[in-house]
Amino acid sequence: MRGELHFDVVVIGVGTAGLTAGTRLAEGGARVCVVAKGVGSTHLAPGTIDVLGYGPDRVEQPARALQELIAAQPEHPYSLLGAERVEEALEWFRATAAGGPFEGYTYLGGLDRNHLLPTAVGVLRPSALIPETMAAGDGESRVCVVGTPPLRDFHASLCAANLFQAGVPARSVQLKVEGQRADANALGLARTFDDAQRRAAFCADLSLHLRGEDRVGLPAVLGLDDPHGVWRDLEHRLGRPVFEIPTLPPSVPGMRLFEILRSAFRRAGGRLVLGSEVVAAERSDARVTAVRARAAGGEMRYVAPWIVLASGGFASGAIELDSRWVTSDRVLGLPLHGVPEAGQPRFVEPYLGDHPMARAGVAVDGELRAEGCENVLVVGASLPGAEPWREGSGEGIALASGFRAAEVVLSSERAAAEAPA
Amino acid sequence: MVTLRTDVLVIGGGATGAGVAWDAALRGLDVVLAERKDLAEGTSGRFHGLVHSGGRYAVKDPRAAEECVAENRVLRNIAADTLEDTGGFFVTTPWDDPVYADRFAEGCLATGVQCEEISPAQALREEPRLNPDISRVFRVPDANVDVWKLVWALARGAATRGAQVLPYHAVVAIDREGDEVTGARLRDARTGEETVVRARVTVNAAGAWAGQLAALAGIDDVRILPGRGIMIAMNHRLVNTVVNRCQMPTDGDIIVPVRTVCVIGTTDQHTDDPDDHTVLESEVDQMLDDGEKLVPGFRRARALRVWTGVRPLFEDVKADGTLTRDVTRSHTLLDHSHRDGVGRFLTITGGKLTTFRLMAEHTVDAVCRALSEDRPCTTTAEPLPGSEERRHYNLGERLGRKEARLADEQLICDCEMVSRSALEDGIRRRATTNLDDIRRLLRLGMGPCQGGFCMYRATGVLHGLDGMTSQQANGALLDFLQERWKGIRPVLYGDQLRQARLDDWIFQGTLDVGHLST
Repeated sequence: MRGELHFDVVVIGVGTAGLTAGTRLAEGGARVCVVAKGVGSTHLAPGTIDVLGYGPDRVEQPARALQELIAAQPEHPYSLLGAERVEEALEWFRATAAGGPFEGYTYLGGLDRNHLLPTAVGVLRPSALIPETMAAGDGESRVCVVGTPPLRDFHASLCAANLFQAGVPARSVQLKVEGQRADANALGLARTFDDAQRRAAFCADLSLHLRGEDRVGLPAVLGLDDPHGVWRDLEHRLGRPVFEIPTLPPSVPGMRLFEILRSAFRRAGGRLVLGSEVVAAERSDARVTAVRARAAGGEMRYVAPWIVLASGGFASGAIELDSRWVTSDRVLGLPLHGVPEAGQPRFVEPYLGDHPMARAGVAVDGELRAEGCENVLVVGASLPGAEPWREGSGEGIALASGFRAAEVVLSSERAAAEAPA
Repeated sequence: MVTLRTDVLVIGGGATGAGVAWDAALRGLDVVLAERKDLAEGTSGRFHGLVHSGGRYAVKDPRAAEECVAENRVLRNIAADTLEDTGGFFVTTPWDDPVYADRFAEGCLATGVQCEEISPAQALREEPRLNPDISRVFRVPDANVDVWKLVWALARGAATRGAQVLPYHAVVAIDREGDEVTGARLRDARTGEETVVRARVTVNAAGAWAGQLAALAGIDDVRILPGRGIMIAMNHRLVNTVVNRCQMPTDGDIIVPVRTVCVIGTTDQHTDDPDDHTVLESEVDQMLDDGEKLVPGFRRARALRVWTGVRPLFEDVKADGTLTRDVTRSHTLLDHSHRDGVGRFLTITGGKLTTFRLMAEHTVDAVCRALSEDRPCTTTAEPLPGSEERRHYNLGERLGRKEARLADEQLICDCEMVSRSALEDGIRRRATTNLDDIRRLLRLGMGPCQGGFCMYRATGVLHGLDGMTSQQANGALLDFLQERWKGIRPVLYGDQLRQARLDDWIFQGTLDVGHLST
């Protein structure tokens, strides 16, 4: 054991849910440490805040669809959280982003209506709260989709062709970005776009290819240092609205989302430890009293009266189905909910079907407390009952549950402090 | 409707049919090769990739063993580029009858299988993951083969000598005039177009489907006894040498390293339908348990994909009709003029991949007899296209090629190192819009991420070539995802489940392919 650290709350996991919970707790005055194996969900997802995209039909007004979902699916995380908390969490996030590390870079939208944003295959995907740099993707006017070889994770012609099929007048052009290796990814290109000179050269070239299009769609690579400035600069130089289209991971807007949340957490006084995988939990009756995390220098013991479990589901490896078909929470060993019974299908035949196993998660009560463990609160993709990618609900659940977990901790602590000794 | 005239119509584009086409073309015959799906999409493409040394049959089926010994030598020579010379071990584990090892050594001696006993310590030095409790080890010249490369090399070789190769051409009818078969009517599965082939001799090389095909010619009693077996590809090469259990052939007793993975096989379940691809959870469990016996920790390794293949065993009157593995693994050639009074029609079935060349030789010998022509076989000496230098494939080959052009060549599939130019060439050469065809050709999407990253890229490249519509591209992507899911679903556990969820995230979350229009 390398040492021992004491906090009011230890949050396990550094996705949107973990950082939201951590930040809200730190803002509420708690001493918080976020411990994580590594960065994860934010860097993989498009960087939008999806609340409810499909239910299962495409959702136009998330506020209304959310009410319907809550009425129809009592086991869904949203039913534990309530629509009002989702609204509140979104409001908080919008303000956090606006006051964040990227000057001027804001998120737009809310629960009134979903934006329809082109994906890299040209599907119009619904999303509630979106980076300003994507907003012009929502529209019906003429668009030029620009491919930037050698980026291999964005194919403009396919994107434009599918947009055209969907009724959006779209065409594509290819414009090589110099100075990249042959299999460049989005991160490499983002660094190029951060450079004002190269950006200017790119825009000069692109202007020659543009016809009368009203908008220009680019892969989501418009800078990591100053995305607002890069985006405005492009709009100015090209003389029309410009928007980003998310690519395969690594996701540049996702990395910005991570930076927004991380800097908010730090500003609020939280401590972040990356590269530390929680490998054991110490328990006493119905409480987890400490967790142990393995890092380069050895194991560290984190002691706290509260634990927030934000380690994710199957995709992060936090929940595992082993080769003997046993499902478990690998982080704290907590009981699960929603695991199909033996003999029942775990996954169905159609790939795009509704897979029962995908809804499994750590069992909780109405206040997100893990079953049989009163001081562990479960948030984000660790929760059972949702299929975030099919529903387009991942970030909404992450934000609202992180928000809620902080409320539960802070109000319990207040109640304890006010209680007569 | 197009009419083709040829000397030989070969029906069935597996290793046997392609081998017959190659052999016949080398002998100067006109050939048409028809396959209902893609080449090697049947049994040939659905096995573990093992080129037998003969050891497996040394005790049980000496004739099959001798054939393997001879053909193993020939293949190393003529198909060098499709083979990797891994060598093989037969190991006695604590679960195997210790007496068998001596019988094995005797059998090898009697049948000519090159076999050298080595100490378990030596074997463990070479293969440190092997079960340390093995008591005896024999080294044999097993190898692995990239079967798609092999079958396409055969087809390409035949084509350069004038053969017409027609994948996705299903037989609609076998044409007969009186007591003679005169050819067949084919339908292009992609366009619906029909082609009539008039042939002097028609060869039924449909393997497990040979009975169905013979019935089209009015011969109802060609009874194939399909034996279904499952195989699981594991991430990484847990072993670099083929490892066999030293016992009478049974289930789950072979692990074959192939390219970047290793494959464990297999089971043996009688089925009436050669298109039956059922995978039972109990079979997966059995394979994993069997894997543990050879390589402890096997269950903690990641399973990439499972598939089934159907052995085309010909029912022998002496077989009891239930245990298909007990039927001889040697092949059967039926000359229907003698057997059924139907002339100019031959059926070749049974056998195994290792002996496909011999099967082809026997078949084309019979073709020549039927044509009363004297044309000697030359396939034992003629190298296949790509194997002219007679150099075996080695594992680092692709990486070596890639490293040489790292700065200027884009990788589409990182796992299998498929470059953009190789993908574009492949799509053009095959003139296909089916990404699964490309997978078989280039191993695109067959590595650990199972297409998670490369499939979007490949679809984009496919769409960019030759004016494909977006619906066609969307269909290609969705078909591939569904096809891939079929092989992943039964082995979704551990890290592969984690990978599958990440892939879902990309496809259903970021790209939203569930709402593509097709």
